[in-house]
Amino acid sequence: MRVIGVFATPSTLEVMGLAQKLGGDALVFILNGGDEAAERAGRYGAGRVVLVDCGAMCDPAALYDAVAGELSGLTHLVFPATKDGKTIAGYVAGKLGVPNLVDVVDVLAPNKFSKYSMGSRGAEEVEVDGPVALVVQPKRFQPAEKPSKPAVERRRAAPIVELTGREEKAKGSLKIEDAELIVSVGRGFKKQEDLKLAMELAEVLGAQVGCSRPIAADLKWLSEDHWVGLSGHKVRPKMYMAIGISGQPQHIAGMLESRIVVAVNTDKNAPIFQYADYGVVEDLYKFIPVLKEKLRKALGK
Amino acid sequence: MNIVVLVKPALDTSNLRTAANKIMVEDTPLKISDIDRNAAEEAIRIKEKMKGGKTIAVMVSKYPPTPKRGGEAENLAREVLAMGIDEAILVIDDGLIGTDQTATAKAITEVVRKKVGQFDLVIGGEATIDGYSSQVPARIAAELGIPIITYVREISQVGSDSVVVKRDLEDEVQVVKSKLPAVITVTREINTPRIPPLLQIRMAMKKPLSKVSLGDLGLQVERRARTTDLKPLQIQRKKVLIESGTVDEKADKLIQYLSQEGVVTPR
Ligand SMILES: Cc1cc2nc3c(=O)[nH]c(=O)nc-3n(C[C@H](O)[C@H](O)[C@H](O)COP(=O)(O)OP(=O)(O)OC[C@H]3O[C@@H](n4cnc5c(N)ncnc54)[C@H](O)[C@@H]3O)c2cc1C
Repeated sequence: MRVIGVFATPSTLEVMGLAQKLGGDALVFILNGGDEAAERAGRYGAGRVVLVDCGAMCDPAALYDAVAGELSGLTHLVFPATKDGKTIAGYVAGKLGVPNLVDVVDVLAPNKFSKYSMGSRGAEEVEVDGPVALVVQPKRFQPAEKPSKPAVERRRAAPIVELTGREEKAKGSLKIEDAELIVSVGRGFKKQEDLKLAMELAEVLGAQVGCSRPIAADLKWLSEDHWVGLSGHKVRPKMYMAIGISGQPQHIAGMLESRIVVAVNTDKNAPIFQYADYGVVEDLYKFIPVLKEKLRKALGK
Repeated sequence: MNIVVLVKPALDTSNLRTAANKIMVEDTPLKISDIDRNAAEEAIRIKEKMKGGKTIAVMVSKYPPTPKRGGEAENLAREVLAMGIDEAILVIDDGLIGTDQTATAKAITEVVRKKVGQFDLVIGGEATIDGYSSQVPARIAAELGIPIITYVREISQVGSDSVVVKRDLEDEVQVVKSKLPAVITVTREINTPRIPPLLQIRMAMKKPLSKVSLGDLGLQVERRARTTDLKPLQIQRKKVLIESGTVDEKADKLIQYLSQEGVVTPR
């Protein structure tokens, strides 16, 4: 009998979709979740649920110590590809000495998987011997309802590091992954208020605004829900317009599957033009206002 | 304070060589995985502030062909030595080709135990450009039995036996205090890595750089994950360049293309 260990928080429980796909019995460790989360795990067919109280933060070392006794004999371990999820996956897989595959996209056989590779610029197939840890985007395999009545236990995992403060991040309601049209901004914009140029263009087009990592992470000109790329959101709109974005592989990784790509850049040799259907070599400060006005007239807005 | 920096000789993903829908790993050049430069920079800054100790870069060569990669990785080691890292140790061995992160982490752990000795911090990048798995630092912490703190955007305090850092997560920033020794990973935003002046590049030629094999580390590695296929993700693009004419003409041309593609429907 295959037994799959799943590590998830209440907001990443959908990783149980991968456990369902693998088939077998699921032992689900829910980190900082309560009865409601346990019940939801039951709806996705959990055989057993362990509610782990991690305290203020989920410390991988404390978590491992709290559940170590349960991990022998598991054939697969499943983790969500969140920042904490990846950290916990590395620590637990390291303790167990099992290989781990990150960014799994499909199960080809119980011991064979396909995954992203080379910073999402490649697709790899990997075969493993023995137990394996799998790290997966929470929404990659949507779980079906197959209700069970799992036994529920509780554990504590008091962190060995100390959380002394926390700051909430500004959060938007944008779902850039679902956008049909995206106007995306990069370091070619010199000041935060200049982003207005792109926002007005987006409004005329009925598009959402995306951005490169520096715009969200370094400069914080836009919230992180706008961030496109390897470490941001993966998008596949009908049209992706990259304005003042150079086209480094980590940005391309997030927009590769767009249907039509447009690039606006002053540098004729910018790599982005290699990934674009239509490239405009021009200063965005001159080009975008003109494009916006012309589109407004053409579209009758 | 002795600081170990993890520096990966990574495949340059902006230069992936491909043939017949395969990624040709052997032909793809190496570069320092970008964020490992941030890790090196942070280590150098801490050493400068703490006035003493040593920074040691540990590198593990993972790609064939081993003889060629040895020279390439050595050049990359010189780059971090020129930045200000004191010493570099390169693990290179045919036995590491085609192994997963288990072997990488064990090799680094053994270097730390057998070649470095006393240390206070291990600093790596949040992710590498090629593997992008973010697994090795946490595995090293697991092997060494010390805390792991990932996605550090700021090191607010370093003392002789503790650090206070800010972790940059999806929804929040956490302020975390940990005992030393610990393993931390830094984000790309933590600093801007210095570009060494020529003089320092020349001086780096004299800094210690050693190569060690798995045998030197007394390590045997198992191969429990095998890559059976590795394809590039490519999408053919039209690559139409609009570069001549006035701004007006360029805009007209783009709108014409966009309506042909059905992206916009002019009235
Ligand atoms: C592990 C890792 C993960 C990463 N993840 C991501 C990610 O998820 N997303 C991401 O975007 N990046 C990511 N990065 C960073 C990435 O490597 C690049 O540094 C980043 O994408 C560059 O952003 P940019 O194109 O906006 O800026 P730059 O590279 O600085 O490019 C600015 C461009 O604007 C052009 N320009 C300047 N002025 C004008 C003008 N007036 N008009 C028109 N064009 C102009 C320039 O020619 C240049 O091409 C990651 C890096 C690493 C190492």
